[in-house]
Amino acid sequence: MKDSRVALTPEEFVRVEAQAAAEYPGECCGVVLARGDRPADRLLLPCRNIQNELHQKDPARHPRDARTAYYIDPRDLLTIGRREAEGYRVATIYHSHIDTGAYFSETDKRNAQVNGEPAYPDAVYVVVSVLAGRPAAASAFAWDPAGRDFLPIEGPVPSVAR
Amino acid sequence: MSVQVYIPTPFRRATSNRDRVSLEAPDVKGLLDGLEAQFAGLKGLVRNEQGQVHHHVNIYVNSEAIEALKGLDTTLKDGDEVSIIPALAGGQAGRLAGGACRGE
Repeated sequence: MKDSRVALTPEEFVRVEAQAAAEYPGECCGVVLARGDRPADRLLLPCRNIQNELHQKDPARHPRDARTAYYIDPRDLLTIGRREAEGYRVATIYHSHIDTGAYFSETDKRNAQVNGEPAYPDAVYVVVSVLAGRPAAASAFAWDPAGRDFLPIEGPVPSVAR
Repeated sequence: MSVQVYIPTPFRRATSNRDRVSLEAPDVKGLLDGLEAQFAGLKGLVRNEQGQVHHHVNIYVNSEAIEALKGLDTTLKDGDEVSIIPALAGGQAGRLAGGACRGE
């Protein structure tokens, strides 16, 4: 799917890759907020993945740990909400996958919807694959209203050159 | 006694795209009752049929999670700001901490 949205600028991509490597073997997560157009005022907010805490506290409800899942600290979401009140919108939501590909999993799709509708219909989702501690690939996905599914989009994520 | 409620993007379909709502309520439960009465689409999004807040939804009064206060019985005062925030989460396919396969 062609898409003209900027998922991550090259500078943001470098920061996201660094965060993904630093948090290995846990999944990292964060958002990019944008305000205005041409060019948008952009703000990258790395978030805290509290999946390990949830797993330790209640493994029955949260069977995964941070190696296979992320759960953004609600306090970060509160910060995002405050930024939204200042006119920012959630432009990009990113996370990493550990020792596997940069695909948008069924878990990712399910959690990106509320009652079957996309939670952030205008956002681009970026997944960074981290293999043995090193970022290896990245892909971007967006909601396709016609197909009612999240599909890969071309172009907006700089390729990972290794 | 007026309380400001922040509605995040995922729930705005249910509030005619409004991101802020002003309500009068004595406590968080009363506030949710009032919100659901005003915006029927919110029913089921924030609370289950038993009236409990979904596990994937976090409610804050000012900057304090209601779990650290008195839950739904947390009293509200004029000028309080309440935020209703659904989880933002995901993860790779299949593997669990113990190696088995199951969706979180």
